[in-house]
Amino acid sequence: MAAAAAAVAFMELALEQAKFAMDNLEVPVGCVIVEDGKVISSGSNKTNATRNATRHAEMEAVDALIREWQGMGLDQTNVAEKFARCDLYVTCEPCIMCAMALSILGIREVYFGCANDKFGGCGSIMSLHQSSSSSAELSGNEIPRPKGYKCTGGIMAEEAIALFKSFYEQGNPNAPKPHRPVRNSE
Amino acid sequence: MAWELSEVPSNLTHSIHDSTVDVIAAKIEPKLANGLIRQLNQACPLENLRHVKRVRRCNEFGEKSELSIILCLATGPENFSEMYPQDVKKIVDTYKLNPFLAKVARFSATSKELWEEQCKLWPTSYHPPHDLDGVSGCKENELPSIFDFMRTAIQLSEVGKNAAVIVDPSTMQIIAKATCGTFQHDDFKSNECAEGNADSPFSLLETTENKDRKFFLPGTHVSEFNSLNMVVSCINPWGWMKQRPSEQKSLHCEGGFPWHPLRHAAIVAIGKAAERDKALFPTIYSSTKPNSNGSMEYYSVDEPAKRLKVDRKDNEQSAHEACCNDLSETRPYLCTGFDIYLVWEPCSMCAMALVHQRFKRIFYAFPNPATGALGSVYRLHGEKSLNHHYSVFRIKVPEAYWNGPVGFSDKC
Ligand SMILES: [Zn+2]
Ligand SMILES: [Zn+2]
Repeated sequence: MAAAAAAVAFMELALEQAKFAMDNLEVPVGCVIVEDGKVISSGSNKTNATRNATRHAEMEAVDALIREWQGMGLDQTNVAEKFARCDLYVTCEPCIMCAMALSILGIREVYFGCANDKFGGCGSIMSLHQSSSSSAELSGNEIPRPKGYKCTGGIMAEEAIALFKSFYEQGNPNAPKPHRPVRNSE
Repeated sequence: MAWELSEVPSNLTHSIHDSTVDVIAAKIEPKLANGLIRQLNQACPLENLRHVKRVRRCNEFGEKSELSIILCLATGPENFSEMYPQDVKKIVDTYKLNPFLAKVARFSATSKELWEEQCKLWPTSYHPPHDLDGVSGCKENELPSIFDFMRTAIQLSEVGKNAAVIVDPSTMQIIAKATCGTFQHDDFKSNECAEGNADSPFSLLETTENKDRKFFLPGTHVSEFNSLNMVVSCINPWGWMKQRPSEQKSLHCEGGFPWHPLRHAAIVAIGKAAERDKALFPTIYSSTKPNSNGSMEYYSVDEPAKRLKVDRKDNEQSAHEACCNDLSETRPYLCTGFDIYLVWEPCSMCAMALVHQRFKRIFYAFPNPATGALGSVYRLHGEKSLNHHYSVFRIKVPEAYWNGPVGFSDKC
């Protein structure tokens, strides 16, 4: 029970990140990274501002952490050990790119809100969180096993979907919604 | 051996046997063939089976060839004699045909291998990719430049690194170049310095050197898992966790990171292309395309997504009117219409990044049997749910190119 309550609390913080994205006219997805019960990083989708469609919330949060850890002088081994103790809470199921990235980093656990039935890499389209999903016929000492992680979906999914809906209906500055003030952006 | 280009099909997944259609066919006298083809094409055209040939020729009995013709699609499982259309029935009666059930391929072949399989059932037509004159294919006259760009990518890649070159094929301009940034920048140099270091897998593999750059010669190592290509980040994405020997702090930080587990060549190149776009077109953003289109990029809730599609047309229209036309034409949305050349087949992270960034064509030289997402382990480009699809090509590099000392030292 306590774990479930904690998951909801962290997801609420992720949703705040998603709202932040929406305020910046980005598709509303947000995430937080948690180590030992503490939020150590957060990220929101920045694909429009960066003009780089790979700058998803997960990537933003991960980059902030790596930058911080490198600043502390941690090397690859230290950073890998760190990620192995981190959990990610993200409002929408990680896409195929992010799901693979989280495996590459060796993250411990992922909690997501709504499923991503177009690009989802944690069960919807591919299952990159399952370590067995890569080529099994290639064995040998040189090839490290793909790293899997535990993945739990459906945490505050309605809230995440509601954000998407309001983004598509109102948040988009070009969407026809005359009774709403149109956001202006530079 | 010459340079060769072949398309990596997006759908090997359905084997030939679960993608067939039943048709009703009949043996005919060869002299009747032309007339019957004409009549049947009118009475019962094979609308969605344009790749299927109407007539099959069998040479089973020596020199006497036998012809069979497709009458129509089989609509029911049994007793098909009653199921065919009136006009077809007339033809059957007139020529006293003996209809039988046959299977044909449902889809046109995407590879030569698949086509050969299909023809065992019933002949189909096949257009190799470079004969296609369309968005997805490559034109014959493009081949020299395609091979040139791949040479550029191979020359860029150092020992144990993938390399990516983004090209705008409409202007033949290189938009961005990158190599992996997963390890410290000077790793390999420091390995080189560690003389007599038997642990270093690289010291034995240094083949050509030019200035301070070592070229990575995949040569004999292709498709083998040896220590050389096991450090290529797309092949062994988890390899970053092992610290490399004799590593030292580097002042050189590309993209602000001395090393980064996710900075595979394609990801770095996409970042550079995005930076370039911002530098070239600093002001036009968010009021135009990126926002309206970008919304589709990440996620779509079904219902609003549909609405969005409708909206998008308006948006593009108004955006087009709002900002000046030449700008929106010279500045493609993300990497729409661009090609990317990769030395190694990308992993699923990189392959999906290329979907997100809307590339048109992906070219790679060496398959990645460990984690390759564009043919070797997965076929991401055949995934129907994605909102964007690119074509994937493999370039076979002649052995002489990587073995011979000529190519490399001359070119750089
Ligand atoms: Zn993602
Ligand atoms: Zn990769």
